[in-house]
Amino acid sequence: MTVGAPASRPRVELAAVRALAPPLLAVLLAFAVTGVLIVAAGKNPVLAYWSLAHGAFGSWDRIAVGLNRATPYALTGVGIALCFRARVINIGGEGQLALGGLAATWVALHMVPAPRPVATLFALGGGVLAGAAWAGLAAGIRLKRGVHEVLATLLLNFVGLLIVSEALQGDLGEPGAGFPQSPLLPNASWLGRLVAGTDLHVGVLIALAAVAVAHVALWRTPFGFRLRILGASAPAAAYAGISPARALVSVMLLSGGLAGLAGAIEVLGVHYRLIDGFAHGFGFNAVAIALLGGLNPLAVLPAGLFFGFLETGAVAMQRAVGVPTPLVAVIQGLTMVFVLSAMGLTAGRRRV
Amino acid sequence: MLRMLGITKSYGAVRANRGIDLVVPPRTILGLLGENGSGKTTLMNVLFGLVSPDAGTIVFNDHPLAGHTPREALAAGIGMIHQHFMLVPAMTVTENVMLGWDAAGRWLRPAAVAERIRAASHTYGLDLEPDARVGALPLGGQQRVEIVKAILRGAELLILDEPTSSLSPPEVSGLLHVLRRLRDEGRSVIFISHKLGEVLDVCDEVVVLRDGAVAGRTRASDTDRAKLARMMVDRDVSAPVAREGGAAGAERLVVADLAANDATGVERLGGVSFSVRSGEVLAVAGVDGNGQAELVDVIAGLRRPTRGHVFVDGADVTGRGVTGRRQAGLAHVPADRHTTGLVADMTVTENLAFRDCDGPPFRRGPWLDFGAMRAAASERIARFAIRVGGPDVPARTLSGGNQQKLVLARELTRHPRVLVAAQPTRGLDPGATRFVIDEVLALRASGGAVLYVSTELEEALIVADRIAVMYRGRFAGVVRRDAVDITRLGLMMSGALTESPDAAALYGRKAP
Repeated sequence: MTVGAPASRPRVELAAVRALAPPLLAVLLAFAVTGVLIVAAGKNPVLAYWSLAHGAFGSWDRIAVGLNRATPYALTGVGIALCFRARVINIGGEGQLALGGLAATWVALHMVPAPRPVATLFALGGGVLAGAAWAGLAAGIRLKRGVHEVLATLLLNFVGLLIVSEALQGDLGEPGAGFPQSPLLPNASWLGRLVAGTDLHVGVLIALAAVAVAHVALWRTPFGFRLRILGASAPAAAYAGISPARALVSVMLLSGGLAGLAGAIEVLGVHYRLIDGFAHGFGFNAVAIALLGGLNPLAVLPAGLFFGFLETGAVAMQRAVGVPTPLVAVIQGLTMVFVLSAMGLTAGRRRV
Repeated sequence: MLRMLGITKSYGAVRANRGIDLVVPPRTILGLLGENGSGKTTLMNVLFGLVSPDAGTIVFNDHPLAGHTPREALAAGIGMIHQHFMLVPAMTVTENVMLGWDAAGRWLRPAAVAERIRAASHTYGLDLEPDARVGALPLGGQQRVEIVKAILRGAELLILDEPTSSLSPPEVSGLLHVLRRLRDEGRSVIFISHKLGEVLDVCDEVVVLRDGAVAGRTRASDTDRAKLARMMVDRDVSAPVAREGGAAGAERLVVADLAANDATGVERLGGVSFSVRSGEVLAVAGVDGNGQAELVDVIAGLRRPTRGHVFVDGADVTGRGVTGRRQAGLAHVPADRHTTGLVADMTVTENLAFRDCDGPPFRRGPWLDFGAMRAAASERIARFAIRVGGPDVPARTLSGGNQQKLVLARELTRHPRVLVAAQPTRGLDPGATRFVIDEVLALRASGGAVLYVSTELEEALIVADRIAVMYRGRFAGVVRRDAVDITRLGLMMSGALTESPDAAALYGRKAP
């Protein structure tokens, strides 16, 4: 039942084209529509997009910044993709990421002096645990009190962000900074640089590894198989002896841990301190990235890179052409609308 | 009244309809018979405008119908009543009739519509109360709501797709009565069914489809079951299955005073006790909805009992989950194969493994062994003659019979000690039904114990060593195969007769 496909073409190639076509088309369409908006704002869209591309890829430094930016997106997005696969709607990435950053900061500031890899690992571990705990709290509320996880995770976002603010106003804040931020973290806890002379940090590799592990876990382990069954049919999952509660808790812990790790990496690899509002936008964009990647861990990677480079390029675009950065949010939003529409059109063909 | 000529429709390489001619005279009930996949559904979808044919013409009441939509088919006077009703349970009969009905006018006039429902109900013997909530009606009543909807919308030709599959025997006879009244009032009916007895009972003419073509047409008075069955499958369907008398062995499945509630807390299973022995089939007959589903779910571990115990091979599994019971040797063929027995969007390979992915051979260490899964799938596809493109196609692409083979293949290659099968042949054609029954009997012959739930009495009689009849959550009686009396069973099913069965009937004979 292939429509309009030459029979001579190899099957695999066709499937790949079919999987890739909707998101790519959606991205192109989003750029086209935004271009119209740029014209309406009286600017030259070609120039704007050129400066966007230049800002994103114009130098090794810029590329490093884009990759750093994409790292928390890929990490959080991959966790959310696993959740959504099991029909667990975790939209609490923002709060989980924020608390991950908070915990990493606390560990880095309070632990006994230790050499670099050890201090960094402990701080990262703190971030993972805090993110997992925050997601686990939402799972617990769901299971014990029957509050749907959409609501529980969403509301815990606000709580999480306010806890970070509160901590920065109090003990964790830098005295006399004039801005809610923590003191600079001890150098030993910083993430190492991957390429000397650029900002590129080791977190990028961690994100790559997390994506690979998530891919293998989803498609090659009984755990992932159970998640996919649960997402495809709840009665079939019960019949297969799968406990929805256990699956909910495990996938929430996993996804929260990844978001917490992303927050810790953001603190230890980019800012070297906890800054109020550092998590802003990561959580919800990660949901968009998970969907853009069709809930496939491997495809979340390019989706995360797309968002990361788009945002680093946006700053340059604003500087060069005077197109306001919020237009990039328009591109992101339109891409999502188009991708989700395309998914609706091709619903039923997706691999579970 | 209806004249369909040379209807041809292909889906890719599959020729679903090959030049079918179908003529329905006025005032006629025409039975459309055929196995699953013989082209009945495609033909009716063509008629109703849901699919457009590759070739052929349709003339209805002297007006040609081509490239029409279901809405136009309705307007022309063709009404279709699907197997699954399209009703809003929370609304009343009147509201359901008005829903989406243009002729109801710009303003809703419930009183006038209710009056028309009452009149139609009286004319056709539908026995409908316009103010009743549809959700509170039995399935037969909901079906009559669909019929009154079609009649008030001006349907002169009604198509009923498997209308009796979920009805109790008294409801079936009520429906057949309504169909005769419809005919007597000048309408025509196309009655799609597997059930030869009903077709012979109510139809004036019968058209049999096989492999997308007309295999025969005849007046109902000129034929009998054997002739029709032969036309459908083009082979003799020998009714009784040859089987050994069979010496029942040790008790494999023991159920003690089992009771359960439904989701709303109403007791659906009121304390049943029985056992099934090695080499034995206990069939549970009865009208759908008398606690059979709850009995199966509780035994399978999908629902918690409010009291009572389940033993598999002497081990009390009441406290165990689905996995624990499976490990104890319990296999389960669920009634709903589309969403429970299978995951439609997953591949055949995954479907054949998804109840067994927590141990060898499909799990090796932390990994799923896809090689082993695919090898097992290929082997089972061959062994169970599952017609499928390959192990990697989604289960949704299989026909109903082959989907059920998939479920059986997964459950039976585990060599279970006990099989609980719920309506395993529902919606299957005679060939696939026969396959299921043969597999169940093969398990019995190799020493398995089978609990076989069926609403088809004939089928229960074929497979069972003992037949239990469920009525309102309890056993109205248990009868041994050699002491079966159809009238008695029928009375038990209708609740008119309750016997307290003796121990020999409940627990089987002791092994000699």
